[in-house]
Amino acid sequence: MINEIFDQHYKDAKIQGGSTCCPGCGGPLFWKIALQVLGANTIVYGDGPCAMCALRNIKVPHYGIHFSFVADGATGINAALRAKGREDVTLISSAGDGATADISFGKISAAAERNENMIQICVDNEAYMNTGIQKSGLTPYGAWTTTTPSGKTDNKKDIPMIIAAHKVPYVATASVAYPIDLKRKLEKAMSIKGFKFIHTIIPCPTGWRFDPAKAVEVTKLGVDSWVTPLYEVEEGVLKVSRKAEAKPVNEYLTAQGRFRRLSEEQIAYIQSEVDDKRDDLMAQDGKKIIH
Amino acid sequence: MAQVVRSFAPKVDQDTCIACGICVTYCPESTVLLTEEKKIIFDYRYCKGCGVCANECPTNAIAMVKEGSQ
Amino acid sequence: MSDKEFTRMMEGNEAAAWGAKLSRAEVVPAYPITPQTELISNIATLIAEGKMKTEYIMVEGEHTAMAAAVGASAAGARVFTASSSQGVAFMDEPLWIPPGRRLPIVMCYVNRTMAPLGGLRPDHNDSMHQRDKGWILLYCENSQEVLDTIIQAYKIAENPEIYLPVGVCYDGYFVSATATPTTVPDQAQVDEWLPSYTHEWYSLMPDSHKMPAPKSFLEMRMGVAEAHEKAKKVIKDVDAEFKKQFGRGYGGIIEEYNCEDAEAVIVTMDSMTGTARDVIDEMREEGKKIGLIKLKCFRPFPSEEFKKIAKKYKAIGVVDRNNSFGSAGGGIVAIELSRALYDAPDKPLIVDFHVGLSGTDVTMNQIRYIADETLEAAKTGKVKHVVDWVESHDLGEVM
Repeated sequence: MINEIFDQHYKDAKIQGGSTCCPGCGGPLFWKIALQVLGANTIVYGDGPCAMCALRNIKVPHYGIHFSFVADGATGINAALRAKGREDVTLISSAGDGATADISFGKISAAAERNENMIQICVDNEAYMNTGIQKSGLTPYGAWTTTTPSGKTDNKKDIPMIIAAHKVPYVATASVAYPIDLKRKLEKAMSIKGFKFIHTIIPCPTGWRFDPAKAVEVTKLGVDSWVTPLYEVEEGVLKVSRKAEAKPVNEYLTAQGRFRRLSEEQIAYIQSEVDDKRDDLMAQDGKKIIH
Repeated sequence: MAQVVRSFAPKVDQDTCIACGICVTYCPESTVLLTEEKKIIFDYRYCKGCGVCANECPTNAIAMVKEGSQ
Repeated sequence: MSDKEFTRMMEGNEAAAWGAKLSRAEVVPAYPITPQTELISNIATLIAEGKMKTEYIMVEGEHTAMAAAVGASAAGARVFTASSSQGVAFMDEPLWIPPGRRLPIVMCYVNRTMAPLGGLRPDHNDSMHQRDKGWILLYCENSQEVLDTIIQAYKIAENPEIYLPVGVCYDGYFVSATATPTTVPDQAQVDEWLPSYTHEWYSLMPDSHKMPAPKSFLEMRMGVAEAHEKAKKVIKDVDAEFKKQFGRGYGGIIEEYNCEDAEAVIVTMDSMTGTARDVIDEMREEGKKIGLIKLKCFRPFPSEEFKKIAKKYKAIGVVDRNNSFGSAGGGIVAIELSRALYDAPDKPLIVDFHVGLSGTDVTMNQIRYIADETLEAAKTGKVKHVVDWVESHDLGEVM
């Protein structure tokens, strides 16, 4: 009886329960939330990240190549949709952080420059997790990975602002810990024609080193401490989504094993960077920041 | 079908549960549902026992118990 | 004007654009590279003049061009693209995708040598490098053949027994930028011969979604291998049908030229064939019993055709406008032909020649040298070199 209820639910929700992702992975959580607004008339193009394991569970048409092909296969699908007069179809192109920041960085930039009509999602778990936790351009400063065992010494690329600088109609940051905000941003993206980019932080208990049960709690802390702030850039105008007081970054960092080796100086550095970013965002809130 | 290997499984105390639905919102695997009768049910075929539902529950109505004893 | 048949002098790159136009390619993702560039700018011109209706995507690199081609083809569009040399190398990763995923993309390989062993002019390594991936590879001698082969290529690729991508290969400069008389057929006639395309196996559209996957990687591979076997007949049939409709045919796989009672033949590919025809004619007038085989279809390799004709000749001179360093012996075509004939009774000697590497001109003197050496091997029963680097001999500059 319970099984039938769930089987029907998976059909209605367009996502099969029980992915091959790790317990507590934000990937299936992201797609579960996204599919609540996307609808059946959707094609998802995406492959590569850990969240790919979740993509095997979605029940809308899905096509992917490898992670060096972000946004370009989707560009082709887009052209086919135009050629066939099927621009009613919603096209989502999704990529992990390694694909977005590193190997397909140029691809995303080019798709943004061409203003391809698609929603480009970055599912950011802050390292190449699928291959066993190697650093990417979106791994934060100080984080342990297998290729940065003493902690990453370089900074995290500011992908949302880089994409915004391409003058695309809509860029947003989102978090699976704030699903209502994420859904609102997806719905807004669906209503706009052109290149839309939504950067979503998704937790990785395996790579960030914490108890899977804390997955949502830690992700929330990332937003609440302003390490991963929530905002939109719509037609070049900045809108900060969440303006609450910042919790100390230390709370966020100490909740994860990957930041275990940070020194006092490093934590202070991170706090000052986060404070600067917060001040910037709050000062520019409501203003046109892309010219 | 793959075998679910799970150390802990969620168990809900229906009296403490206030049917807020937060566990349903945050379960990464879509394996928690709130029925029309306001009861929380789990799909133990696919639940991984990650514990997010228990961690997020505002009334601590869900406990992670040893697998097999739910 | 743009839809009715007409004939004029046309470079290969313009003929190719007309081929894509007549085939009603729906999506063209492309990135420019010498000597392919005019092909895609000609397509842009045809679109701007209202003569071609296609979704033309100016992508930022060749890797993207092929990925976009894959996406568009998977979504059911008829796709065309083109590249050369370094660009082909840059798209190597996605070039593996269409055969395994059975996507009937047609692509022009405008042959150009690979750096650092040369500059902008042609040899065949860039296209032949695809020989393991599962692409059908057809080579063209002049503008007319390029145009006609593109239209034929879609018919071959979109045959449900095949569903493989097809490479239409032609030499940069010598074909791409050399004008020869070309007839552009009537659009209505082409439409009748090449109807619009729907993939029978796949649909990505949400309302008709079907994406069956093979049960195993083995099934996927054997499917491609079987399609190549079937392609051997399909390519010939398509050429025969084309000849019936448009009055021009190329044999599909190979063409035997002036081979009546020949003692030996030489095998050429692509633009040098034109030069070779003249040399063979000259040598015939001198009484030499030499013939010419034009190899048009390199993949699938026409082993059966060669087995059939090989017993007629004492020696086959293979002209390899490519390198395969450290190979079992000589150039790529010679190695393929050796394997094809290995079990044949009364097999001829194979004499291998490197010429035209890095895009140097293949002169009449060089072809004559190749033909003479092959005839001598036929006479003496001996092969002098594993492969003869013809350009290292001073044979004069006569064209």
